[in-house]
Amino acid sequence: MKLDPDKKLDILEVLRDLDRYRPRRKGWVWRQRIPEQTIGPFVYKDTSPGLTRSVPLPAAEYFSNIDPQCDLVITTEIASGRFEDDLRRMRMAAWHGADHIMVIRTTGQSHIDGLIEGSPEGVGGIPISRKQVRATRKALDAIEDEVGRPINFHSYVSGVAGPEIAVLFAEEGVNGAHQDPQYNVLYRDINMHRSFVDAAESKKILADAGILQLDGAHNANATAKEAWKVTPELFVQHAVNTAYSRAAGMAPELIALSTVPPTAPPAPKLRLDLPYAVALRELFQGYKFRAQQNTRYMEADTVETTVSHVLDTLISRLTETDIQSTITPDEGRNIPWHYNNIAGVNTARQTLMGLDGLDELLDIKQDGAFRAEVRELKERAVLFLEEILAQGGYYQAVEAGHFVDSGYYPERHGDGIVRDPAGGDCAGTVIARAADYGAPVCSHFGANRYAGKGGKPCADYGGCTLCDPAKIRYIDEADDEDNVMRRLKTPLAEREQGLLRPEVEKHGDGIVCLTLFIPDEPHTAMQAALEIARHMGLNNPEVINQRVMHPAEGSLFEIKGWVDLVIDKNALPTYSQIQPLADDEIEAWVRPRAIHVVAATVGEDEHTVGLHEILDIKHGGIEKYGFLCHNLGSSVSIEAVLDKAEQTGALAVLISTVVTHADIHKQHMQRLARLAAERGLRRKVLLIAGGPRIDERLARECGMDTGFGHGATGRDVASFLVRRWQGLD
Amino acid sequence: MSSLDRPDDFEARRKHLRELSDAELHSRFWSLVERITEPLVEEARTHTSPGIERSVLLRMGFSSAEAKALVDRMHAQGMLGHGAGHLVLRLALCKGLSVRAAGEALLNGQYWEELKP
Repeated sequence: MKLDPDKKLDILEVLRDLDRYRPRRKGWVWRQRIPEQTIGPFVYKDTSPGLTRSVPLPAAEYFSNIDPQCDLVITTEIASGRFEDDLRRMRMAAWHGADHIMVIRTTGQSHIDGLIEGSPEGVGGIPISRKQVRATRKALDAIEDEVGRPINFHSYVSGVAGPEIAVLFAEEGVNGAHQDPQYNVLYRDINMHRSFVDAAESKKILADAGILQLDGAHNANATAKEAWKVTPELFVQHAVNTAYSRAAGMAPELIALSTVPPTAPPAPKLRLDLPYAVALRELFQGYKFRAQQNTRYMEADTVETTVSHVLDTLISRLTETDIQSTITPDEGRNIPWHYNNIAGVNTARQTLMGLDGLDELLDIKQDGAFRAEVRELKERAVLFLEEILAQGGYYQAVEAGHFVDSGYYPERHGDGIVRDPAGGDCAGTVIARAADYGAPVCSHFGANRYAGKGGKPCADYGGCTLCDPAKIRYIDEADDEDNVMRRLKTPLAEREQGLLRPEVEKHGDGIVCLTLFIPDEPHTAMQAALEIARHMGLNNPEVINQRVMHPAEGSLFEIKGWVDLVIDKNALPTYSQIQPLADDEIEAWVRPRAIHVVAATVGEDEHTVGLHEILDIKHGGIEKYGFLCHNLGSSVSIEAVLDKAEQTGALAVLISTVVTHADIHKQHMQRLARLAAERGLRRKVLLIAGGPRIDERLARECGMDTGFGHGATGRDVASFLVRRWQGLD
Repeated sequence: MSSLDRPDDFEARRKHLRELSDAELHSRFWSLVERITEPLVEEARTHTSPGIERSVLLRMGFSSAEAKALVDRMHAQGMLGHGAGHLVLRLALCKGLSVRAAGEALLNGQYWEELKP
């Protein structure tokens, strides 16, 4: 499957022949750091190979459109519930620099005792099934070819079907997975014996498949009342999962600690979070670090969230980090919208590029209070471990409510999570292995009559699915109603007809977000804002963010609503798709030629702003390319413009015409064309008109070479001129 | 809810740690962790579960639905401690069938009385 950058992802092609699709590689891929890399005008210290296709940061246009890629893997989490929509979101995220796609599972999958098959719709994530995993991997294979970088696909090996999901991931080329039995115990109330016994098998399977494992400690951070007080316990949770993974046969380079800076402003974030981050990296030297961004203190304001996430990313750069995970800035107010995945990825990308080479500039001061705090955190963690053993071990400590207590250990508030070792989901399902126990398959953990007798455990019957993938049994669909083809009926029909609706999450969901300011006290302002949204055609309008600017002067609102509007794209006016030339290309052509250009606002017209935008170097106008501009000002006659053009030997005339009363703008253009022809200038001088009511077609009808309307820039004008002259050369 | 409610007595508790070097503290941290996980690992080494056994049958070429049906019945009959994969493979070798054919026969209700070792 090959993607065309100018075409939408073809979901039918993704689904075609899925029963025969095999992943082309297994295991995790890191970015390769290049210590000194010249990109555009700069030498970077912390970058990796570039992409073949991408959307650069907006300001890149000032730097030859460079798009340097940092050396950390960048994660985005995807949770729409429909994998067919998720694939488009993944493609957009990859173009913005994400190479770790973390697919969230549907609510409740942890408690399903077995694998889900087919392509049912999920809530807050997708039901992880073989079909959805395989289709996603297939699409990602095509997307990684399109952007020119391997993409890691990731999901979750938790819940009561852990070992089966681990097998599925190993078979289908999933590259990363969360696996942490403590998560099952503390947050899903799954029986602790079952969780740990299953986890050893899962970890062995992940280890052999080269799948990077993330732990679940960050959840303690997200659920704790005061997140910075849970830090001593976080070391313990990381350590329990790490030691258990090692015992199951996992290599240190496949074990990644999922760590989150615990606080956000107005807390003194760096002072609280940095000692913790440093202590963690010292205790866990040799392991990988997945730095997550803070979710605990996210509110509805996406700008506030973004600033916190920038600071989180700064902490990643100040310490050792391998993966920078991103949280969408809208997660505090709704299930993430797809364009906010891209916003989150860009927060990390922009911050990391801005911090390039930070190591050469800064060191963390190792004397005084900072060192003492690092030490104290470690000691508190050691005391926590000692008490677990004093209580009789891990299970007894959980039973005693030792975990996720809101006290700063050894302080205790008695509000920890309590679980009964004999209780929870699937209690009593752990079975002692008999003396003759056997499992004739690869990647099996523990006592096994088929292990250690030379050759593979699966040799007796020609190999297991991990050795012979042809043996994998593929189930396409399990439900006639709840499946991807049913869901695609309307989207595919609408796409075929060229119908377009706005969307934020799922195909054509019709959701839009309106930003408005209402100058009154907060309550009245909110009622007014909702009323205005209704009048603007938003159905079920809902305030998703309100920021009081002043208790009496007014509030800013973001309102989401659903619009029942569909646009036929075939009925839209045609437009020019010509892309402007690069700045340096224009300048290289213009500057050596000393080209004169005459410009004026013509007729009885005092508007001068538009022309300044096009001409002045201060506004990014064409002067910066080396044009010799003669701006005659406002209310200039057509004759005066042509006089100046003759006098200076100008190659182009730019007239601005803003007033349109009685079609005066058309008359100016027609008059310029006629007089220029009479003076014999028409072949030599390009005639261009601009103004809010001008477009290319109207200008040409009136005898101009072209015209520019609202939103045109100096670069657009210069690109037209240079292309035209290059054509004449 | 736990009844435990305790003020921050860190200074009192840490006395025995104060004199340790950082390296000694780290090694104490990891040796304590290993003492905690050791019995958990041992339990995993010597126990299994329906989830593990289904994952074994998946690896032997059965679908999720087939694996679930086989393991549920073996579990109900108290045979899972021998290993679902082992039972199927032993049956296959004994009857001269492929592993798949043996599993399919079991799914059709055949050979269950001969399955118990």
